[in-house]
Amino acid sequence: MSKFTEAIAEFTEKHPILYRCVLFGENLFKKAVFGCQDCGQCVLSYNAFVCCMRCPKQMRNGPCGGTRPNGRCEVYPNRPCIWWLIYKRAKWMGRIEKLKKYHVPVDRRLEHTSAWMNMFAGRILPLDLSKELREIELPKKDPPPKW
Amino acid sequence: MVSGSRLERLLRQGEFVLCGEMSPPQGADKAAILKKCDYFRGYVDAVNLTDNQTAIVRMSSIMSSVFVLEGGCEPIMQMACRDRNRLAQQSDLLGAYAAGIRNVLCLTGDYQTFGNQGDAKGVFDLDSVQLIHTVADMNAGTLLSGDELKPPPAFFIGGAANPFAEPLEMRIIRLAKKIQAGAHFIQTQPVFDWPKFEKWMSAVRDAGLDQKVFIIVGVMPVRSVKALLYMRDEVPGMSISDECIKRMESAQDPKEEGVRMCVETMQRLRETPGVRGIHIMPVMWESITPRLVEEAGFLPRPEPLPTEQVTAEATETN
Repeated sequence: MSKFTEAIAEFTEKHPILYRCVLFGENLFKKAVFGCQDCGQCVLSYNAFVCCMRCPKQMRNGPCGGTRPNGRCEVYPNRPCIWWLIYKRAKWMGRIEKLKKYHVPVDRRLEHTSAWMNMFAGRILPLDLSKELREIELPKKDPPPKW
Repeated sequence: MVSGSRLERLLRQGEFVLCGEMSPPQGADKAAILKKCDYFRGYVDAVNLTDNQTAIVRMSSIMSSVFVLEGGCEPIMQMACRDRNRLAQQSDLLGAYAAGIRNVLCLTGDYQTFGNQGDAKGVFDLDSVQLIHTVADMNAGTLLSGDELKPPPAFFIGGAANPFAEPLEMRIIRLAKKIQAGAHFIQTQPVFDWPKFEKWMSAVRDAGLDQKVFIIVGVMPVRSVKALLYMRDEVPGMSISDECIKRMESAQDPKEEGVRMCVETMQRLRETPGVRGIHIMPVMWESITPRLVEEAGFLPRPEPLPTEQVTAEATETN
């Protein structure tokens, strides 16, 4: 992101207690509001603020072929298809363009780490609140230490 | 020209192709595969080999594809993301290419609870779009790690699309993503609901996607109305029109009616702009394939030109 945010991330990651507090706060908020699955590489802002990792198959690039006609999940018929929710919300928010982004494979090393700090450190895509699709090139960076 | 496979050459020559589908046996003998090859050789241009479809353990799609080559047909190896992580997928792809497999269909895979071993761990390390991208990267000479491949494989890459699942706009976005990721051909679910299929196909044409990828549409011969009802109620993402069900219900001989319905769909698909081939999925009824192909008027099958000649005539399609 910037030198300033990178410095924050670096400082936080050097201090285990601080890092755990940040992670706890982030989880408290994101789990309650978005049903966060803790992948550590948040794409909420691209998916109209619905977490795609709640999908049983963890589809990051759109729905599988099994969405039921009533918009329910093929695996759990009593739950909605996550991508159905994402589409409806994106339509409502005018963020359809954002759904066209290709998401690279999940970096499993980042699971259960703080996505906020990863974003600050420039490891993952920054939060994108614009409605258009912007292509961002990310430098390759080491994962954070796990405390 | 990417791979020079029979399927690719025919498609780039502008021929209307036919694909079959075979499920590998639940057993440790290749004889069953070689026998089924007889139903496909000379009748279809390539045969799909399913990868533990509906999450039920069968012989691996890679080895089955090798046996299909032995049996004189061209395989399209299916690869799902449910059972393998990215390391295994990449190494399997290298092995498959070395064994002579040139076509690969990248799928996410049915969820493990659909099969009879719901207690298994689903991997889903990559999703199908990412897998397509990975194969395209491998074609270009690098693994996901960035390591160079010497020599790289040259796969003809396929993806799947479901014309019948909602919402339509999202389906088109996802199809475009697959093409952008590097898919060369697309295979779809079987058509039992023509109006819905037409709607999808015209959306595909409006987006110009039929010019960027070869679209091969699925058909399925059914033997009874029970099979149709089962698919409508139990198989998610399938759409069966009431017209089809009524037709099967009122038929004197449902088997014959199923064949006739399938043949009609095939003939209709040939006339549909943007459709470049048909994918016949005779689930557990492979022996009907020759009859379907013959009655729909697709015989004899064309022979592909040698690779060099096709390259010269290559169309604008990627």
